[in-house]
Amino acid sequence: MEHSEKALSPQESLRVIRETIDVAKRSFQENGFHFLLWGWLVVIASTAHWYLLSNQLHPNPEIAWALMVVVGMPAAFIREWFYAKKKRSSNLVHRWYGLLWLGYGISMAISIPLAVRAGFSPVPFILVLTGFATFVSGVMMGFKPLIFGAVVFWAAALWCMFLSNEQHLLMQAASTVFGYLIPGYLLNHEMRKSNVPRT
Amino acid sequence: MYQELNPLLLSQLRLAIMSYLMVAQEAEFNVLKEKTEATAGNLSAQLSKLQEAGYIAVEKTFRNNYPLTLCRITPQGIAAFEDFYRDLKTYFDAEGGQGRN
Repeated sequence: MEHSEKALSPQESLRVIRETIDVAKRSFQENGFHFLLWGWLVVIASTAHWYLLSNQLHPNPEIAWALMVVVGMPAAFIREWFYAKKKRSSNLVHRWYGLLWLGYGISMAISIPLAVRAGFSPVPFILVLTGFATFVSGVMMGFKPLIFGAVVFWAAALWCMFLSNEQHLLMQAASTVFGYLIPGYLLNHEMRKSNVPRT
Repeated sequence: MYQELNPLLLSQLRLAIMSYLMVAQEAEFNVLKEKTEATAGNLSAQLSKLQEAGYIAVEKTFRNNYPLTLCRITPQGIAAFEDFYRDLKTYFDAEGGQGRN
């Protein structure tokens, strides 16, 4: 990019704005770390929950979800801590993105006990909320696989109407493969391809 | 007739700095240098002009005992950029969409 002091024409101005905003947006695209971390944990925890429940191996099969607290939270915290330490510029999108997933976490923490107390399986509600947060993330990043993943979560939530509570867990694991894992790997692939360091 | 475009933003580097900060909000000097591919001297000169206009705030601080220059877009800078972009749009509308491609 050459920089002369000559006044730009309106066409050149528009080109500079578009090119620079494009550079900035690529720098701030999230990689797939969180989708892969939480995706694998959900797949493992829901499959383990289903296995413990269907084989009656444990009086509290939902113990499998402790994985999210024991592994997920520390890993996510450490990763964000390192990111905050090395970041060299801030970004409005990253902040909104963080707030979106914080709101998602709070909504989950409220809706899971509500559903359980009302005698419902919480899985369809989790899938609806996850679909929403994944959809907004996909739109914010302009990344279609995440939008497709959100549609999978919503479709899976509807499908749960025709399944038993036990089968909900397998539906959750399967939809997470399409909603989190595949987009997560594709995001990482995109980041490597564009070779833009995260600032 | 379109509004006359803000002359301060009709410079490639100043416009690139403002465009980057519109997305990033704030960035270190070295990040701006890398992203705009400008020389340190030129970048420094253009940052001073933007700072004098009140479009950006420049904070000089330290990180791990190394000097750090942090540039942040101000509300005035955001308004100036938005006005500039609106005037550009008005220009292209008046021109019948030329330059949109």
